[in-house]
Amino acid sequence: MIAPKFVPVVVKQLWRHRVRSVLTLSGVAIAMFLFIAVQTLQEGVRRSTQTAAGDTRLVVYRENRFCPAASRLPQFYVDRIEKIPGVVSAVPVKIVVNNCRASLDVVTFRGVPREELVGPRGWATKWQLIAGSVAEWEKRSDSALVGETLAARRGFQVGQSFDASGITVTVAGIIRSPEAQDQNVAYVHLDFLQQAAGKGGGLGSVTQFTVRVDDPAKMEQVAEAIDAEFRTEADPTMTSPEKAFVAQAGADIVEIVKFTQWLGWGCLAAVLALVANAIVLSVQDRIKEHAVLQTLGFRSGLIARLIVSEGMLIGALGGAIGTGIALSVVHFGNFSLSQEGLSIGVSASWSVLVWGLIISAGVGIVAGLVPGWRAGRREIASCFRAV
Amino acid sequence: MVVLLILVAGGFVNGMSRALRTTGGEHNVILMGAGSEESVERSEIEAGVPGVLAASVAGVRTRAGVAYVSPEVHVMLPVRVGAAASTTTQSSGVQAAAAQGSSTSSMPRPKGRQVMMRGVTTAAALVHESVSLTEGRWPESGAEEVMVGRMAATVLGVAEIDLQVGKAVMIDGRPWEVVGRFSAPGTVVEAEVWLPLADLMTATKRETISCVVLTLDPYNEETGEGAEFGDIAAFAKTRPDLELVPMTEREYYGKLADFFGPIKIVAWVTAGLIAVGGLFGGLNTMYAAFASRIRELGTLQSIGYRRLAIVWSMIQESTLATAAGGLIACAVGVFMLDGLAVRFSMGAFGLMIDETVIGLGLLTGLALGVVGALPPAIRCLRPTIPVALKAV
Repeated sequence: MIAPKFVPVVVKQLWRHRVRSVLTLSGVAIAMFLFIAVQTLQEGVRRSTQTAAGDTRLVVYRENRFCPAASRLPQFYVDRIEKIPGVVSAVPVKIVVNNCRASLDVVTFRGVPREELVGPRGWATKWQLIAGSVAEWEKRSDSALVGETLAARRGFQVGQSFDASGITVTVAGIIRSPEAQDQNVAYVHLDFLQQAAGKGGGLGSVTQFTVRVDDPAKMEQVAEAIDAEFRTEADPTMTSPEKAFVAQAGADIVEIVKFTQWLGWGCLAAVLALVANAIVLSVQDRIKEHAVLQTLGFRSGLIARLIVSEGMLIGALGGAIGTGIALSVVHFGNFSLSQEGLSIGVSASWSVLVWGLIISAGVGIVAGLVPGWRAGRREIASCFRAV
Repeated sequence: MVVLLILVAGGFVNGMSRALRTTGGEHNVILMGAGSEESVERSEIEAGVPGVLAASVAGVRTRAGVAYVSPEVHVMLPVRVGAAASTTTQSSGVQAAAAQGSSTSSMPRPKGRQVMMRGVTTAAALVHESVSLTEGRWPESGAEEVMVGRMAATVLGVAEIDLQVGKAVMIDGRPWEVVGRFSAPGTVVEAEVWLPLADLMTATKRETISCVVLTLDPYNEETGEGAEFGDIAAFAKTRPDLELVPMTEREYYGKLADFFGPIKIVAWVTAGLIAVGGLFGGLNTMYAAFASRIRELGTLQSIGYRRLAIVWSMIQESTLATAAGGLIACAVGVFMLDGLAVRFSMGAFGLMIDETVIGLGLLTGLALGVVGALPPAIRCLRPTIPVALKAV
């Protein structure tokens, strides 16, 4: 765009009007903070709801139910599910959540059989134990392995007891998992949860089955086979890929996040307006100065590019500040939206950071285009006559 | 734009809070299963509890011998709206919905939206005084009939006409006919679908109910008649086998309002951040506008105007502009946004842009005007008069 030797000129222009530059930078930073926050929400939804090619997990739920309190399936279904061709494993899971509604602060208990968690190919093999141990979890019937996000949000420590949904558990360990759903739940023993949940079905009743298939390409086929197996039973099932299930059960959250897209676009428009405003004001102050530069030999194209570079620099700097703050807040805030016992994590990634910087710089360039073009087209004589 | 955004955020928070806090009768007490205080949908109590209550607790309101005791089942179920070809016969909507939802149909099953279903008896009409039947009739048990609240269409994302009396909805894979519509202004109950208690218990295969809602006669010290909340709490304590937890209905919905506290904070923080961003843009513009008038300001000072008076006039200028924008935003808010139905987390409420929210919006506009003008005004008046007069 411009030769490196002109970069100090651009920086000096911004430094000359420090107050204006700081105000513009602050406004851009705030707008980009909101834009990036919206983007992290969008990314969380995408990660939680879009089935990837390698996904092999199905969720078997009670037909026409999404609330864990309303879905009750007989635990003996697991034997029949495991016999269906294509099924590698089926794990009965009991879910108790303190509130089914969409919110930022929900406590979800997931009761799973001991052998599914601690076995040689158990779920715990994929987790990283940040504190405590699985052995501690095995020792007590009322122990819980708590996801990192939930533990950070509620300030749980190993050895601490807490109560939610009328169930009291003791934290045996804090886990970090690559699966978004695991980060915001407390894993307990299945039989403990079945009994502690009281009238919620009791022993022999579970909320769902988590099924793993051998071939991702056959997920739909296996899902149909499972539903066909129980179609005529008293408790028919509805089987879908885990992420598709999250998309439907968490439809309220998905809609809210979709709506925030408009907020994101509004923020970009605000960045454009702020930077354009600052550039226009700056150019107006320097009409004569530009005329002098042209008299000295600066081409009109170069002057236009200098102005556009100013816009890009303000956009990039403000974007960097706003993006950095947003990603820090998201990283340390451990936010997640929950509904029906399912979580959609709000997470930061490097790609969001890079895109944030590129977009803010790009918007800055766009904002400087018209003022730069107009400044470049002015005649020298008319510029000198300007007041 | 900034003021409009403040109005929207304020209306959203206000509407949600009011809808939850005003739901619930003044003298109503809800008894639910222990451990379910945060969410009555998780609660299960014995179906015989209402009878035990009515017999054991004196002071429950009665009318013509009927006790104000309402056994209820609260459950969230996905509901789809059936496309009725015509409404010439009452059953046409049911048939069309049945055809659409038939499990033998080759079309993929359309997904429903989660709606709060409440299984009730006719006693609910006594207990929930805010609810009034506006169209049609009460649904009959065993006939697969429902009545829908005024805001149920918002929750389902359909037009009002799709939930008229005679239309059908698909619940649990079966068509149910809408035979009545009710309203409960300013409460979350309006977003619910009500049906006979027995029908909902059959559909969800339950033998237990979610809760009992009863209305107390306010205690009269002189006559000794009536009851207080403490009497219900004492009853629950004397019957630990029933595992009941009593709370006033308003307390329950108040807790639900608190549950959404983080969401409200997010709404306010977002509006606040955008307001601050707008402020920075405004400050920039004000700086530029006032900077071009330094010579004029110097001239005014030289003919005797005090700096304070000049600052005051600049603030008035800025405030006039922001106040005008604020008034336009308030007009848009009041005439176009007030009462706008918002679907949120299995319920719906109307944006409530009342006098408090309007006042807040106008104050925000005025504050932006003052704050937006002060720093530039002070900066422009800092140079001495000779320096100001020489300014370009």
